Amino acid sequence: MNTIRRMMTAGLLALAVVPGGFAQSKTVSSNDPKALAIVKAFEDKLNVTDLDVTNTFTLVQKKAGEADRVIQIQIYRRDKADTFALVFKYPESEKGKGYYRSKDDLFLYLPSTREFVYRNRKDDVGSTDVRTDLFGKSDVTAQYWANLDGTAMVAKWETDVVKLDAKQLDVSFPVQKWYVRKTDGLPVKVENFSASGTLLRTTYYLDYKQVAPSKFIFTKLLATDALEKGQQTLLTNENISTARIPDYTFSKAFLEEQSR
Amino acid sequence: MGAFIGLAFKNVFRQKKRSFTLGINYAVVAFILVLLLAFSKGATTNIATSLVRSTAGHITITGQFAKDGKIFNGLLKTGEIVAAVDKTFGGDARTLTRYAVQSMVYYNGLSKRLPFTGIQSDRDTGFRDQSTFSSGSWEDFASDPNGVAIPEDAAEYFGLTNGDEIVLSTRTRFGAFNTGILVVRGIYATDNFFSRGYVLAHYEFLRNLDLAAGDASTSVYVYFPSARGLDERRDLLMEELLLRGFDVSVPKTDSEAVSAVSAASTKYEEDKEGRDRVMLKLATLDEVLGIVRTVLAAVNAVGAFIAAIMLFVIAVSIFINLRMSINERLREIGTMRALGVESSMVTGLFVTESVALAVIFSASGAVLAALVATVIRFGPVFPAGGNLGLFLEGGRLVLIPSLLAIAGVTLTISLFAAFFSYFPAKRGGAIPPVDAFSRVY
Repeated sequence: MNTIRRMMTAGLLALAVVPGGFAQSKTVSSNDPKALAIVKAFEDKLNVTDLDVTNTFTLVQKKAGEADRVIQIQIYRRDKADTFALVFKYPESEKGKGYYRSKDDLFLYLPSTREFVYRNRKDDVGSTDVRTDLFGKSDVTAQYWANLDGTAMVAKWETDVVKLDAKQLDVSFPVQKWYVRKTDGLPVKVENFSASGTLLRTTYYLDYKQVAPSKFIFTKLLATDALEKGQQTLLTNENISTARIPDYTFSKAFLEEQSR
Repeated sequence: MGAFIGLAFKNVFRQKKRSFTLGINYAVVAFILVLLLAFSKGATTNIATSLVRSTAGHITITGQFAKDGKIFNGLLKTGEIVAAVDKTFGGDARTLTRYAVQSMVYYNGLSKRLPFTGIQSDRDTGFRDQSTFSSGSWEDFASDPNGVAIPEDAAEYFGLTNGDEIVLSTRTRFGAFNTGILVVRGIYATDNFFSRGYVLAHYEFLRNLDLAAGDASTSVYVYFPSARGLDERRDLLMEELLLRGFDVSVPKTDSEAVSAVSAASTKYEEDKEGRDRVMLKLATLDEVLGIVRTVLAAVNAVGAFIAAIMLFVIAVSIFINLRMSINERLREIGTMRALGVESSMVTGLFVTESVALAVIFSASGAVLAALVATVIRFGPVFPAGGNLGLFLEGGRLVLIPSLLAIAGVTLTISLFAAFFSYFPAKRGGAIPPVDAFSRVY
């Protein structure tokens, strides 16, 4: 608690100096070319721009004192058009629910009322620690200033640490730290911070699968909640296919059809 | 005429058993109706008072603002809104500004989403006056900009004591997460139904936590010395706000007014219009209470329905009662007619007797209801957290009996008795003296 207190006191002091403002964006407003190069390099590898990707995500959410919660989602992704469709397959209570994203617009489809709700593009998936922005094309440099923050060891890997400070407040995490593996340039750990600088969650990219030359998709990911001790979500990515997806899939009508 | 009425009142209790049987029915109906009206008036008054002390003004200004293609809940240019109120009403109006945030609270391995209300503690003292602090105090809370006053049930959930620090994590209106720490400076309980569950923090703290601009708020409450003429006052204020470039509207329905008062969401939606603007919704207290009145009208309607059924039974009783009375008093009718009393006078005597019975018993029932209401009002204390919470003040059920209700109910029942006794009484009065003396009618 004392550690959290110190971190947040610092953050709130910053806010007090700039009332209603955004402390980090005032202090950082430029990119470090080396950091930018690292970010662009891993984005090139993770954004499968020329391919459509179909895959099945299984999320297992563990919470202290509660039974594990399992969610299965079918993802249809087309990075070239900056779009994806996401349909809940399991559990039964969530079945038919889905998201459709087209560029900055994200819609949640609720089969119970048959309506689309406009959501923040960083919406949680089924109240887990995983966010919808994880499924689409990564465009970190458009939203953040990138700067190097030294190096660190993550498990057995030596990593470059890139600190990202948001340019606008329309992002879930105003500050992020990406730990990028020096050997292959892929991120292995991401820390997300609040506007006041408190660590909110840490995501570990445990494994990747190569789907094309220099193109990778993560297959295992672990997200841990820093505020709610003991809460973590394990995400497994299976049935990965790069076959072309019909255009109709990336539409609201497709989500409506899936719920029937 | 006086002697005639005196005779009618004297005749009321000639058949004591029959008169009391019918009279008790009058009394029960009057009792139910007066008690219902007392409840209805008490509930309306209590809810209005509780709302004004917690989450509504005489005029409540809420709204949305459009910025860069998105619509956000909440207000901008709060200072200008307050200036518009001051210019329109001068010293007659008082304004309070609040900032509401829903935030996850983390403490000791537990988490829960709680509604936070940011107040200007130096001016917004309504909560102080209706809260009982079991730990800490209002002054401790007011003097600490990072202080929080938390309801007893929330404190119990987390196991909080005075001086503990809680961690807040909220998604701000723009999408970014922000966190903060508040120090518990008071643990309170209130019997105000609308204030229960509110976690009180300071206005500036919550506004900063929400990363909102310096002139942002979620609601502005406008108070006047009295709640009369709110529609006209709102019209004046709307004119001034329009002149200052605000988009203004009024709630289309009572439920929309309630939503406007209780809105605290910071989620945003797409802006179809594509024009940056501040859209204000001005709801009067009457509109907010409209939905309450609808519910109470339904309660009253059920009571009136029960009373109507009882009155129907009474109507049949009146008819039978009077027929029996006429049969028993044929010689009396014959004597009166033989002495030259007009048939209409005989009819009038029977009707007056019936009305006298109704007046005596319905007035008794109504007065008894008023007494019972008063005893309940100042008697038993009910748990504030129970089902009756909405209707309690200081733990006591608010029942407000009125002279108007007593008089109105008595008059209604008396007119009813007059109407249903008129027809058998008319037949009784029309019996010729010879027939009255010679046969059973």
